[in-house]
Amino acid sequence: MSLLYDVTLRDGNHALRHNLTAEFVADYCAIADASGVWAIEVGHGNGLGASSFLVGKSAHSDFELLSAARGNLGKAKLAVHSIPGFATIKKDLKPALEEGVEVFRVATHVTEASVAEKHIEFLANESAIVHGVLMMSHMIDINGLVEQARLMKKFGASAVILMDSAGYFVPRDVKERVDALKNALEIEVGFHAHNNLGVAVTNATTAVEAGAMIIDGASMGLGAGAGNAQLENIVAVSSRQGYQLSPIADFLEMSRLVEASYPQFLPSTTSSSIQSGLAGVFSGYAPQVKLLSMEMGIEVSILWVEMAKRKLVAGQESMIREIAQDLMNL
Amino acid sequence: MLKPKIRVAIIGTGHIGTDLCARMLLDDSFDVRAFAGRRDDSPGLAMLKGKVPHLISNGIEGLLEVVDEIDGVFDATSAFDHKAHWLELSSRGKWMIDLTPSQIGSPLVPELLGKNLDMQISPDVVANYSMVTCGGQSSAPLVYAIAAHSSGISEVEVSSSIAALSAGPATRRNIDQYVQSTENLVQLISGCEKVKSILVLNPAEPPVMMRTTVQMKVEKCDLEKIRETAREIVEQIKQYVPGYDLVVEPYLNEANIVSATVKVTGAGYVLPEYAGNLDIINAAAVQTAKIHAQRFLPDSVEVTR
Repeated sequence: MSLLYDVTLRDGNHALRHNLTAEFVADYCAIADASGVWAIEVGHGNGLGASSFLVGKSAHSDFELLSAARGNLGKAKLAVHSIPGFATIKKDLKPALEEGVEVFRVATHVTEASVAEKHIEFLANESAIVHGVLMMSHMIDINGLVEQARLMKKFGASAVILMDSAGYFVPRDVKERVDALKNALEIEVGFHAHNNLGVAVTNATTAVEAGAMIIDGASMGLGAGAGNAQLENIVAVSSRQGYQLSPIADFLEMSRLVEASYPQFLPSTTSSSIQSGLAGVFSGYAPQVKLLSMEMGIEVSILWVEMAKRKLVAGQESMIREIAQDLMNL
Repeated sequence: MLKPKIRVAIIGTGHIGTDLCARMLLDDSFDVRAFAGRRDDSPGLAMLKGKVPHLISNGIEGLLEVVDEIDGVFDATSAFDHKAHWLELSSRGKWMIDLTPSQIGSPLVPELLGKNLDMQISPDVVANYSMVTCGGQSSAPLVYAIAAHSSGISEVEVSSSIAALSAGPATRRNIDQYVQSTENLVQLISGCEKVKSILVLNPAEPPVMMRTTVQMKVEKCDLEKIRETAREIVEQIKQYVPGYDLVVEPYLNEANIVSATVKVTGAGYVLPEYAGNLDIINAAAVQTAKIHAQRFLPDSVEVTR
């Protein structure tokens, strides 16, 4: 049966503009540890070492947050997301290993898996559990996707995770991709949904039914843009579908904790998120797009469409201003 | 009387080495004597067949056989190989321009000579200059311009996005080395301990031009002066990197962060236009060689500065 992978304390940090506190991490982990989730991912929204002017500064360092989580985890594994180009082995991966992180997800844009080689090799040699993550996975055809996943496997990843970072997929897309990967490669497959089009939970359960081993979700959907697949909903739907992934009680409590702690930050599917989803642009850009559209008086939708035209990938926040300036000069 | 030329060799026949060679063949200051790779079937060697007196396919060994014809060598191989090359060539009295991230030599951003005290032309003809990284070459002028008119700099960040097609296998495998050497250079120029460098590869088609953004947290700054210096220095760099453009002028946000962005469009000798990252490091290498050589061959080159 599929394993649940909780990204509330990592992707949720996008929704909190990277202001997640160590206290909340500790409180959340105290409940989530026994809930039945396989792993809990913690840190800056863009992963280890990503706190920066470019994508946003963390209020609390990766290591403060990881240490707060570590103290309250016994059953669930402690996990991190890490992007080469932001994180390095020396400054980020080694200290995270020392902090007791057990699962590392080394992430690249879907066409750039080769950048992950050294990081995955290093972690595999250290006997950590390593997954290769392909972000913005809608930006490649299925054959290309299989080739990139094959590279992740070759470097030493034990699973490949497809991220629908823009919230662009509908269930059919998810099934085709999970099927293709399972047919082509001997590797576990994971899926990470965003809710721009309102189908994140359905996409997640579609992935379960197609045989994906690892399913990402966040309590209350706390995540970038329109948020992630709501973890408690995945669990609820799974029981109605007849393959209960876990008992639901703790998940409802985790959801209530998020709702009570961050009521003003709960993500929802809005006109802006639907536009970004249809355009296939990285969900994490929502706050910058909102700010710049106010600062420069540009329609949000015009910005999203232009960003899609220029094929921005994650981590190009500074380019949004240039695009907005160009639009204003037209 | 003909002016003496700078006699050079290039080792490494990948994209960077081939572009460097082609670029210097078109430059009157240089007499390109040798182009050395390690494979008989190197496309770079094939492309420049008949244009360079010594096309060498057995690497440094072959190059050492003609070393007497050469004043200095450009190394576009790898950080690992550069160590060995430097040992061989320095003992024979040759200077080297290092385009690998080995960090053996002193980092040099040609436009900052005479501006930043750590940027120096060696008093000794046998010198090793490190071109650092494309992110380093493209960000350093902005870091300098902002630092020159700011006080209380507490944090510096440089982020570059480059076309995925322009990032070769060596850059991909050694992305940590890229990050580390860029950070070391930024530390040197800003004088700030807390620095961060970020590299993002963008696979869009048609390929995107390189962009580098510098963001510096300061206590106080004179934004007008920063803008003036940034514009000046960008104009100077355009003399040898015509595609270097200031696309977002320095601005200050409410968090006291000064930001600015440059775009680098390649000159397209051998490399395509989108490879501005490779263009800027090659242009800097050529410029550095001219400035260094001028000191020791006073009648040779005219350096456009």
